[in-house]
Amino acid sequence: MKLVRFMDEAYQGAARSKKLETRRGKMIFSLEDLADLVGDKPTRAEVEALVPCDDDLLSKLISTEPAMKHQLLWGYLSSILAERSAGPLQLASCNYAGLELRRGTIILQAAGDHVGERMAGGRIFIRGPAGDYLGQEMSGGGIVTQSCKDYAFRNMRGGFGVVLGTAGNFVCLGKHGGRTVVRGDCGVRAGWLMHGGSLRIGGDAGEYLGILMSGGKILVRGRTGMRAGWRRKGGIIQAGSFGPESEDGVMGLDLRLA
Amino acid sequence: MPDPRKKIEALIESLEALRLHVGRKDLVVGDERVNSQLFFLLANACLRNRAVLLYGGMGANKTTLVNLLGSSFLSLSLGAVEDLMVTGHPEQTEEKIVGFLDPRQWSRSGGAIEMLWTPWARSRWKLINEINRFPSGKQNLFLEIIQKRKLSYAGQVLEPGDTCYFATMNPEFSATYPLDEALLDRISASVPAVQPDFLSGMALAEREREVYDLAEELPRLSSQEFDALPNLVTEVELSPQVELAILCLLRDFTLCERAPGFDKTQLSGIKPSKGLCHDCHYFNNPEVLCWQVDEGLSDRVRQDLRAFCRAIAFLLNRDADLEVLRAVAPYVIWHRVTPSSSMLNRPPYYGARKLSFVAELVERSINRTLNERGEMNMLFSRAVDGEMTLAVAMRELSDYDDPIARLDFIPALERMR
Repeated sequence: MKLVRFMDEAYQGAARSKKLETRRGKMIFSLEDLADLVGDKPTRAEVEALVPCDDDLLSKLISTEPAMKHQLLWGYLSSILAERSAGPLQLASCNYAGLELRRGTIILQAAGDHVGERMAGGRIFIRGPAGDYLGQEMSGGGIVTQSCKDYAFRNMRGGFGVVLGTAGNFVCLGKHGGRTVVRGDCGVRAGWLMHGGSLRIGGDAGEYLGILMSGGKILVRGRTGMRAGWRRKGGIIQAGSFGPESEDGVMGLDLRLA
Repeated sequence: MPDPRKKIEALIESLEALRLHVGRKDLVVGDERVNSQLFFLLANACLRNRAVLLYGGMGANKTTLVNLLGSSFLSLSLGAVEDLMVTGHPEQTEEKIVGFLDPRQWSRSGGAIEMLWTPWARSRWKLINEINRFPSGKQNLFLEIIQKRKLSYAGQVLEPGDTCYFATMNPEFSATYPLDEALLDRISASVPAVQPDFLSGMALAEREREVYDLAEELPRLSSQEFDALPNLVTEVELSPQVELAILCLLRDFTLCERAPGFDKTQLSGIKPSKGLCHDCHYFNNPEVLCWQVDEGLSDRVRQDLRAFCRAIAFLLNRDADLEVLRAVAPYVIWHRVTPSSSMLNRPPYYGARKLSFVAELVERSINRTLNERGEMNMLFSRAVDGEMTLAVAMRELSDYDDPIARLDFIPALERMR
């Protein structure tokens, strides 16, 4: 048989015009491989350019516990996979989950530190407690957690955050926008240096609530600690009752608000 | 004569119904899922002079399954089939395995030399149990025997006819010996035999009668049906797509820019894993297979791929198409090659999933042949058939940065000038 005929039959007469492109590729099978190419502190764009197209491989990459120095990379990968997934992405506990998340949903059984950092969209649901820096610098999307440690929603610019239980110290430090609800108590210096947005606390607040705040609104259903609104330059603080040495101008809640 | 395939289908059903084999359906052929351990053994029973190796831990139903199938295909009792096998241990000798000169003849005068051949030697269903418990030197005996139609000893020749060869082995234990590469190359397909999963364990728990009793209830093939199987398998046609994919698959594994004659099977000592590919143009290119495995593939692989594609297609009563090749090829290749440890040790293979890694390489080669090599292959074909000048074809082929174009096609056209 003529070789041309054999090839024609093999390709079933289809004209194949695509030329081969053998490029010098880099195999990415582990976070170490990725870190070799982009370093340990890459931008999201750098990671996105090299991340595997194969979702199964990507899932396997984030299924392994990352070393401390690869946690940022892991965080970016978790966001990229969540954005590609049709349904919610379930993950175990790890730092930086949902880093710069843009869309999609992540469900965490528990959370480490920096979860939802710089996120701009999507949702993160945490079934257990969250660590420090939850939703830091977030500008969109939403986070719901059972509780959190310190510095939650620091420098927050948009989106919403809901803490179903108690929050640690320095909630909404330097916050510019967005809405935050803490249904339980929160620690000291909530709303410190707050410039905008809203913070609603269902229980009691610790000392120095709204210290040095210049904008935004803080509403506390329970009692604040001492020196609420200390050196406040603007914004509104309302509470069920205030502790000693509260700043002038803070307001008690009337019955309708409560 | 009734259709032997129907009887084989009945045998498959009986094995499951009697709880004699209830393995996982881990071999995916298109939309169908079947048990690889069972189907490769059945495929080998439909072929002749091929060898299938079952590889796995203790109690994974390797030996028993081969003997059960032997009982059914040879129409013998299970006990009789068990007498046919040889089992590896350091004290095995050629005389115990093959046979020896009949000492009684020395007291008689005249007459031809007489041999006492062992039942294993005379059988057309040869099981080498625990093959890696034979010391390395004694394994060489099987180099001569496997895939041959006859045996010889002391100048005497036995021709039992076309034979089905089977072997079993455990992973490396303290009393085992590594298998020689040449012996592995004579093994057509190697299939992992895994322990029963949860559901299989539940099913096996329902088995209360002895295996020997249950084996009597298996359907049995007549010798006429058993002999007809190879011809029925040969009637299954391989599509040109499959033929082309097999050719390219072998070349993908075998070609090496730095090996003598571009043939990786010529390498000795230096290998891709030992620095051969350092700074090679193709090194670290995931689309190219050459640097990802140490060994090339022999022509036996091509023959085995063709035979087992046909046999599996016959068993599943479907065309021997690319889906069959995709399913079969990893089992035919994986025991013959050593993947690059830098690739195999990474997730998702973790140094342990060699079969999965080879399956990925196979998939990549087939996809590349079908989707990206069409133009290149047509150029070469036209040049060979004289439809275009060799010089033009070589110039155009030189644009293709593919090992087959550079190391196979262009040199072939140069020789034709």
